[in-house]
Amino acid sequence: MGTTSLVATGGSLIAGGVVAVVTIVGLVNAQTSASGQSPTDVSQPVSIDYGTTN
Amino acid sequence: MTRGRVLLPRVWALVLALLMLGPALAPGYVLSYDMVWVPDLALRGDFLGLGSGLPRAVPSDAVVAVLDEIIPGMVLQKLMLLGVLVLGGIGAARLTDPSSLAARLVAVTLYQWNPFVAERLVIGHWPVLIAYAALPWVIEGARDWRRSGRIPARLWFLVPLASLSASAGLTTAIALVAFALVPLGNRALRRWVAVALLLAAANAPWLVAGLLHASTALTDPDGARLFGLRGEGSLPAPLAALGLGGIWNAEVVPGSRTSPLAWVALVGVLVLVVGGIGELGRRFGRRDTLALACCWGVGWGLAVLTWALPDQMAWLVGHVPGAGLLRDGSRILALCAPLLAAAGGYGAARLLSRLPEAARPGLVIVLVLLPVATMPDAAFGISGRLSAAQYPEDFSQARSVIDDQVDAGADGDVLLLPFSSYRQPEWNDGHKVLDPVGRFLAPDFVASDELLVSGRRVAGEDPLVREVTAVLARSTPDARAAGLADLGIGFVVTEVAAGPAPEVTGTTLLGGPDLLVQQLSRPSEAAVPSSWSVAVFGAWLAFASLLLGGLLDAARGLARHGPRRPRAPARDELSTDTAK
Repeated sequence: MGTTSLVATGGSLIAGGVVAVVTIVGLVNAQTSASGQSPTDVSQPVSIDYGTTN
Repeated sequence: MTRGRVLLPRVWALVLALLMLGPALAPGYVLSYDMVWVPDLALRGDFLGLGSGLPRAVPSDAVVAVLDEIIPGMVLQKLMLLGVLVLGGIGAARLTDPSSLAARLVAVTLYQWNPFVAERLVIGHWPVLIAYAALPWVIEGARDWRRSGRIPARLWFLVPLASLSASAGLTTAIALVAFALVPLGNRALRRWVAVALLLAAANAPWLVAGLLHASTALTDPDGARLFGLRGEGSLPAPLAALGLGGIWNAEVVPGSRTSPLAWVALVGVLVLVVGGIGELGRRFGRRDTLALACCWGVGWGLAVLTWALPDQMAWLVGHVPGAGLLRDGSRILALCAPLLAAAGGYGAARLLSRLPEAARPGLVIVLVLLPVATMPDAAFGISGRLSAAQYPEDFSQARSVIDDQVDAGADGDVLLLPFSSYRQPEWNDGHKVLDPVGRFLAPDFVASDELLVSGRRVAGEDPLVREVTAVLARSTPDARAAGLADLGIGFVVTEVAAGPAPEVTGTTLLGGPDLLVQQLSRPSEAAVPSSWSVAVFGAWLAFASLLLGGLLDAARGLARHGPRRPRAPARDELSTDTAK
């Protein structure tokens, strides 16, 4: 295996590992900070907005 | 094709679906914006298209009402949600490089884990998602039809199943036309007629009901301005649409879409698609690649038009009956997904083929997980926005007392109060949902069809709703009750916790903590013109024949030959094998 192949293999494995870890951390993190994103404003019981444009 | 290349994409599709739905699969009903499911949806005239308003939930509600006689509503909803994601992903895998497992896994992730799916799940547009899931299968069926000259049995039921709402039907129709039609010529005429007949029958329930309501089919121009394609975070609308995002409602957009991660996701998708488009053209066939590109162009083009020309769109929906179909700009982006998944898969295979074999596994992980890593908050019920709720006991009691009165000969529609479209009940974890009371009960119901978006009112189209609004503005409960009875209202159901509602004089059938059910005396009988009934019956006959005939034919074929396997790669396809 040449140097280029070794670098490519190493880089690919590192990249794969990083993305896998980032994915798992992201999944966990997104859930722990999810409550603030949930549309749970019940202070307006009547005429509730269908949505909000940005 | 090896067993792993067939099986692993299916397993991956199931894993992603379970991850995305999470708590939504727990016992209970997922009630989110326009997604309202109940234990036993009763079939009624309005669901067939005989109501006073535009047939927005035709034929989806009626199909559910029939199916939940066999499968309980809760189970049916879970099957639908899971089926939509899994079958969509598996279908996408079949569009891409059959010789590369990595390509197939990438296609599954691209098709299942994207903003379109996450946003439409939260806003509850499940008929659109069924059409989205069916697209790869419709495309495959249409290609088979074009090649063999004989319509595959699965198209008979797939096309109506993927046309459970007007916008779903439009999406499916564009894809079918793009792939099934052949250039005009002597033999082409029969194909064109067959495609037209198939689409007409599959879309007959909402088409006929829509034509019957043509006089009220103009929608509020403000809706077009509000529901057009939008940017997400720092992504401008046209770029958001490239990655299948851009829904108008910021409340249903995953938080990650407003972060730099959205840019990473977009660049990743574009690199794969651009890298794979050439190979797609060679392997998928130029004609079919052109069809995929046409679908993409129509989807992206129409979506971007709603952003670029809001005033012109507003004029269109305000002057052309039925044009309101196009006002929700990003809904049509479903048409872009097959190209992204197919070309993205080929792009992944091409990228991997350039690496030494030992380096491929790492990159496979990167490519397959990239959509998940850049939108992690689509997991676990889109970060808890989709969850399962139980209806309060009052709902069952309300249905029971009204059913008793109807059995005893009482007549009339149900009026839902407070007279507003959406609720945000605590028992639904505070999630917004279209007032579910009407669907829980058995008779036809009248609910407000006015929408509030960012505090701006979007008028509905139902003339009966306007009349009810005028009656509710009367000064006394007696006057309101008399006026409502004249409009054919037999029952008034008030959701107590949803806020103040106008009082109406009537006999109290139930006074629970959640619902107040009153019966009005002597409601007028609502007359539906017999010509309407005949037309709607004909439409449903065509739709049901197609659906049932196709299912029976497919079941017969399955019993005879076993399940159909994906097309094996041709010899020349194997020569560029990658990452197996």
